[in-house]
Amino acid sequence: MNHWAFIIAAYGLTALGSAGVLLWSYLDMRRAEKAVADLENRK
Amino acid sequence: MKAKNQRLILALLGLVAVVGAGLLAVSGLKEEASFFYAPGDVAANDLPLGKAARLGGMVADKSIRHDADGVTIHFVVEDGKAKVPVVFKGIAPDLFKENSGVVAEGEFRADGTFIASNLLAKHDERYMPPELEGKMHKSGSLTS
Amino acid sequence: MHAFANPARFLKIARPLTPVCVGIGLLMVLLGSYVGLFLTPPDYLQGDTVRIMYIHVPAAWLGMGGWTGIAIASIVQLVWRHPLAGVAGRAIAAPGALFTAICLITGSIWGRPTWGTWWEWDGRMTSMLVLLFLYFAYMALANASDERTTVSRATAIFGIVGAVNIPIINRSVVWWNSLHQGPSITLRGSSISSEILWPLLPTVIGFSLLFGGIVLMRMRANLADAKVEARMRRMAAS
Repeated sequence: MNHWAFIIAAYGLTALGSAGVLLWSYLDMRRAEKAVADLENRK
Repeated sequence: MKAKNQRLILALLGLVAVVGAGLLAVSGLKEEASFFYAPGDVAANDLPLGKAARLGGMVADKSIRHDADGVTIHFVVEDGKAKVPVVFKGIAPDLFKENSGVVAEGEFRADGTFIASNLLAKHDERYMPPELEGKMHKSGSLTS
Repeated sequence: MHAFANPARFLKIARPLTPVCVGIGLLMVLLGSYVGLFLTPPDYLQGDTVRIMYIHVPAAWLGMGGWTGIAIASIVQLVWRHPLAGVAGRAIAAPGALFTAICLITGSIWGRPTWGTWWEWDGRMTSMLVLLFLYFAYMALANASDERTTVSRATAIFGIVGAVNIPIINRSVVWWNSLHQGPSITLRGSSISSEILWPLLPTVIGFSLLFGGIVLMRMRANLADAKVEARMRRMAAS
């Protein structure tokens, strides 16, 4: 049995999950902080 | 007393109560929540006959014996307190070795033999590169 | 205690800290993973599958550390009414659940070649699965209330109650006979040979920094949302 298939699956899923949450949090932060900036520019 | 301190004491009391109650409940589960019987548990109590059980321990040194049919394996599980002979028919996992941990799923027979239908390998908490094996590996203890 | 109560003061620190956490965290995770995948020796018994440890252990630590953070934030919120505590608790929930899930999944993938099973209901695995469900319940409670950027007091109380599971997970392999092995790293030292152990240090620190970066970003998003919401309300009132 080739153990590397298991290792690659474990690392791949970890990379996918972490990158996903990292990106989601980043985009959400960008959207929210842009809304504040827009509001401050408007007045 | 200031309201803030009152809330602090209340929160800490609550935390202690919740953790205490949880740990008490869990310690009551001690027997039920065990994943397997060790040979010593079996020797100290009656055999759990007629129901599915798990037996865990170390595979005794030089105890693995293969039958002529190629699928039946005999071995002995020990934990330093008692020994239990096991019969297993099937394919054992890669890590199933003598002086290594094992958890067998199956049923006890009235004569004290354990008839296993499935084997799981249990490794211990020591990790080392192959060239160190033998130098550091002290076998025979199932630390858990 | 209230030094950071002013969100402006918190943001002054959080803004430059976020890229530092994420950048150094990513670097350390990649470095540790590379060393752990290609340079360290395999285990004498398990072979190469031991390399899953370098992500499984940090994930387990962050899953449990995340809830410890939620519990501390909950106490601070309930006792000192600190305005940032609820924001922090809310921000921790998603990455905490993520790493708990990663811990369970990588553990399952590790268990198949070593133990010969994907899943067994032993004490360690069951209590870790309970932690994942606690995170889901916390997030559901947080979203069920009117609070959009912080958490309700009921949610904070749940955060404290759920903390009972943390010592249970930690001790589960000592109290009960379990399939999962006992603790390798204790106060008395480590039973993992140092050549295999050391890449764990950069991955644990790296994933922790990433976790911190994610929490900071989510807190900043929540604070910005709160600001917009407050401004809108004021504009509607005038």
